[in-house]
Amino acid sequence: MQAYIDQLIRDGYFAGMPKEVVYAVAMVLAAFIVLSVFVAPLAGVTSWLERRVWARMQSRVGPNRVGPQGILQWLADGIKNLLKEDLIPSAADAKLFSLAPYVVFVGFLCAFVVIPFGSQLIVADLNIGILYILAVTSLVVVGILMAGWSSNNKWSLLGGMRSAAQIVSYEIPAGLSILTIVFLAGTMSMQGIIKAQGWAPWDWFLFNNPFTFAAFFLYFTAALAEGNRTPFDIPEAESELVAGYVTEYSGMRFLFFFFAEWGNLYVIGAVATTLFLGGWQVPPVTSDPILLGVLQFVVFFLKAYLWVFIAMWVRATLPRVRVDQLMALCWKYMVPLSFLCLLGTICWMLVFPKGNQIFSVAMFVLGLLIVAYFFKRVVFQIRHARPELYFKPHI
Amino acid sequence: MSVASYVKNIKDTVTSVFEGMTITFSHLVRRPMTIQYPDKIPVPIQETLPRRYRGILEVDMDICTGCLACERDCPITCITIGIEMDKETKQRNFTHFDIDICKCMYCGLCAEACPTGSIRHSQEFEGASYNPAGLVRHFVTQPAPLYKPKKGGETDPKLAEKVDTGLKYLDEFATPDGGAAAEEG
Amino acid sequence: MNETAPVQSQGFYAEEMTISVGPQHPSTHGVLRFVVKTDGEVINEAIPDVGYLHRSIEKIGEKVTWHGYVPYTDRADYLAAMFANQVFCMAAEKLAGTEVTRRGEFCRVIACELNRIASHLISVGTFGQDIGAMTPFVHALRERETINNLMEEICGARLTYNYIRIGGVGYDILPETCTRITEFLDHFEPIVDEFNRLLSNNKIFIERLAGVAVISKEDAFSYNLVGPNLRGCGIKWDIRRDIPYSVYPELEFEVPVGTGQVGTLGDSYDRYWVRIRELQESCKILRQCLKMFPKGPAIAKVPRKFKPPVGECYARVEAPRGDMGFYVVSDGSEYPYRVRIRTGSFTAMSIIDKLSKGIMVADLIALIGSLDVDAPEIDR
Repeated sequence: MQAYIDQLIRDGYFAGMPKEVVYAVAMVLAAFIVLSVFVAPLAGVTSWLERRVWARMQSRVGPNRVGPQGILQWLADGIKNLLKEDLIPSAADAKLFSLAPYVVFVGFLCAFVVIPFGSQLIVADLNIGILYILAVTSLVVVGILMAGWSSNNKWSLLGGMRSAAQIVSYEIPAGLSILTIVFLAGTMSMQGIIKAQGWAPWDWFLFNNPFTFAAFFLYFTAALAEGNRTPFDIPEAESELVAGYVTEYSGMRFLFFFFAEWGNLYVIGAVATTLFLGGWQVPPVTSDPILLGVLQFVVFFLKAYLWVFIAMWVRATLPRVRVDQLMALCWKYMVPLSFLCLLGTICWMLVFPKGNQIFSVAMFVLGLLIVAYFFKRVVFQIRHARPELYFKPHI
Repeated sequence: MSVASYVKNIKDTVTSVFEGMTITFSHLVRRPMTIQYPDKIPVPIQETLPRRYRGILEVDMDICTGCLACERDCPITCITIGIEMDKETKQRNFTHFDIDICKCMYCGLCAEACPTGSIRHSQEFEGASYNPAGLVRHFVTQPAPLYKPKKGGETDPKLAEKVDTGLKYLDEFATPDGGAAAEEG
Repeated sequence: MNETAPVQSQGFYAEEMTISVGPQHPSTHGVLRFVVKTDGEVINEAIPDVGYLHRSIEKIGEKVTWHGYVPYTDRADYLAAMFANQVFCMAAEKLAGTEVTRRGEFCRVIACELNRIASHLISVGTFGQDIGAMTPFVHALRERETINNLMEEICGARLTYNYIRIGGVGYDILPETCTRITEFLDHFEPIVDEFNRLLSNNKIFIERLAGVAVISKEDAFSYNLVGPNLRGCGIKWDIRRDIPYSVYPELEFEVPVGTGQVGTLGDSYDRYWVRIRELQESCKILRQCLKMFPKGPAIAKVPRKFKPPVGECYARVEAPRGDMGFYVVSDGSEYPYRVRIRTGSFTAMSIIDKLSKGIMVADLIALIGSLDVDAPEIDR
C-alpha cells in the first residue's frame, strides 16, 4: 500500500502537495474503505452467524426472517440502533461516556492495518507488525475502563475493573505464545512470519514442534480472554453484572461495543492464522497475480473465520469462570505453560536448527487423529441421544 | 498443589471442554425444536392442540338452560348472566350472557358444572385486543329464550346435533370421570 | 445508593459499596431483591428483600369456595403447580374424610412426578445460565416444553393445571397419553446423561460450585431448609419416604443425598447434583406408575357444594422446592376459614444472609441458583 502511494508520488500524480498530506489522505481513504467494505459487513455477518450457530446448538432456529436465512439481520439491527435515542445518563461523565465506544472501536480497527490478507493485500507491512497488534488492541481496555467509570453505575464500574485486570493479565500469556513464533520466524513482520511458513500443513508453525502446538491453544485461550469472550466474558457477565460496562449504553454507542467485539473476533482468528496456520500461503497452482491474490485472500479469510466459528462454538458450550479463577488460570496455568512452550521451542531450535520435517508430519497426523476422534464422539452423541425418539411436538 | 493434581486439572479441563464441544457440535445437525408461530407452520396451531385444551370460553346459547351453575362455580365471577321473565308470554329470556376474557383464568370449573355442555373451552387462544372492553364476550345480543331439555330426547334435528356435541364434550373431556368411563367401556 | 462507610481491609481504607441486586436483575429468578454490601467483588452482607410478588393467595382462600380455591393454588408456585393442587386437596380431603380413588392417586403421582421433572429442569437449566452456560438452559427448557405438551394432553393447561381436585383428579389420563409419557421417558433418560456430559461434568462448572456456599447439617436444621437443599447437606429426609402419602409407599425409589463428591459436603454442587439425581428417580417412579396403573374411576363422588366439618388440618407433600404444607381451617361453611401456605423457598431465602458473608458477587448468583428459590413461592 505504502509502496503503491510512493510509486504514485514518484509518477507525479500529486505534484505540488506535501508528501505528508498525501499520506494522510490516503490513510483516511484506506481506513474508510476497509471500514465500510470489509469490517462493517464482516462484524455484522459475524453477529448474524453467531446468533444462528448459537441457536442451532441450542435446538433453536435463530434470526431467519430478514433476507435469505436472515443474513441481513445485522443491517436491520444497525438501522434500528441508529434510529434510537442517544441516551446519556444525567449523572454520567458525558464526555468520557460518549468517547469510550470510539476508543474501543479504534483499538480494534487499528489492528486491521497490519493484517495480511494476501502477499500484496496489506495496508502497511510494519516491521514490528505483531508488536503493533499487541499494542493497539490494548487500547480496548482503556475504552472499557472509561465506559465502566463514566457510566456512574456500580455494575459498570465492576465490569470495567474486571476487564482491566483481565486484559492486562492475559497480555502476558498471549505475548509469550506469540514470542515462540517470533523466535521461530526470526521476524516480527506479519508478512515475514507468513513467508517463514509454507502452504502445506506440516510447514505451518502449528505443527513445527509440540511446544508451538500447545502455544497455539494458549494463544487462542488468552485471545478469547482479551476479547471478553465466553468463558472469560466476566466484564459483561449478564447473569452477574446485568451487562457490565455496557449497562448504561443504548443505541449506536451500544452497537459500537459489539461492533468491536465481533470485529475483534476476526482479528483474533487472523492473528492466529498468520502466526500458526501459514496465513495466506497457497499451493503453487497459478502465476496470474490477480487470481493468486484472490486465492490467497480466500484461503486466509476461511482459515481466520474457522477460528471465529470456534470462538462462537466455545461460547455456546462453556460456563463462565469466576473472576478469581480467571486470575488463577492466567497466573498459575497459562503463564508458566507459555513460558514452558517458549523454552521448549528454544531448545527445539537448538536441537533441530533447520526444523524436523518428519516430526512435523507426525504432528500433523496427530492433529488429524484428534479431529477424527472428535467426529467419532459427535456421532456417538447423536446416536446416544436416540434421534429416532426425538420427541415430536404437536407439529 | 501437587504436580499430579496440577496435571489432572489441566487434563480434566481439556477433556470436559472437548466432550462439551462434541455435544454442542452434534446439535448443529439435529433438528431444532422451534415452532415458528404464527406464520411458518403447516397448519394453524389451534388445530393441533389436544381436545382437552382449555382455551377461550365459548357458549352455545341454543342449548343453554340458564341454570346459572357456571356463574356460581366461577371462582372469579367472570361470567355474568341476566335472565328476566317476559310478562306477556310467561317465557324466561336471557338479557345478557357475558364472559370477561380478561378475568378468566381458564380453570375449567364452569365447563364441568354445565349440565348440557353448552359452555366449553375452545381451542382458540389468540385473544389480543386493543381495548379491554373488546375482551368481554357478549353471547346474547337480543333477548333470547332459554333452552328447555325435552323428555325423551331432542326432536329438532338441528338442536339435537348441538345437544349431542355438548354431551359428547361433557363426556369425553369435561366430566371428571369421563375418561374412566371410556376406559371401562 | 451512596451511603458509604469506610471499612478497613488489611491496612487499606476502602469504601463499602451498596449494590441493589434486583428486583429487575437477570438472575434473581423473578422479582427478588438483595441489598448487597460489597468490598469490591467480595460481599460483606447480602440482605434479602422479599414481597415484590405478593398476591395474597392465602387471603383469597377465605373468599372462594373449596372447589374454587384449587385454581388459585396453582399460582402459589407456578413452576410446580401440581403440588400445591395436591396438598390443598389432601388437606380438604383429610377434613372431610373423603377417600381418593386408587386410579386418582396414580394419576396424581404421574402428574406430580412429571411436574417435578419440569420444575427441576427449570432449576438446573437456569442454574447453568446463572453460571454462564446458555446452551444447557435451552436444552433443559426444550425437554420441559415436551412435558408441557404432555400436561396439555392430560389436563388442558400448560402451566396452571388445576388438575387435582378434591377427591381425585379432574381428568383421567388416557391410554394414548400413557404411551406418550413412556415415549418421552425413553427419550428423556439419555438426554439427562447428555446434560451431565455437557454441563455437570464440565470442569469450569465444577470449579465454580465446588466448596461454594457450604451449608452444614446444623445450619440446615436451624434454618429449616427442606427438599433438595436439605438433602444436599447429606440428610436423608423426603416426605415421600418419611411421612408417606398417596401411593408412594408402594413405589420403589431412592432418596438421593449430597456426598460432597467434588468439594465439601453441602456445597452448591451437591444441591445441584441432588436435583439431577431426582430427575432420574422421577423417571423411575413414572415407569412404575405406568406399569401399575389400575382401572377405575379417577375421582370419588364429592358434592358440588363441598362443606367439610368444622376443624383444622395440616397436609404436606414433597414439592420440588421441598416440604410444601397447607394449613386449612374450616368453620363448616362453603368457604375455608383460613388457609396458610408453608413453602420451601421462603425458608431457603433466610439462609442467604448467613452464607453470603465473604463470597464473591458471582458466587451469590450461584448460591441463589443452587437454593432454587422461586419468587412466587416466597411471596405467595
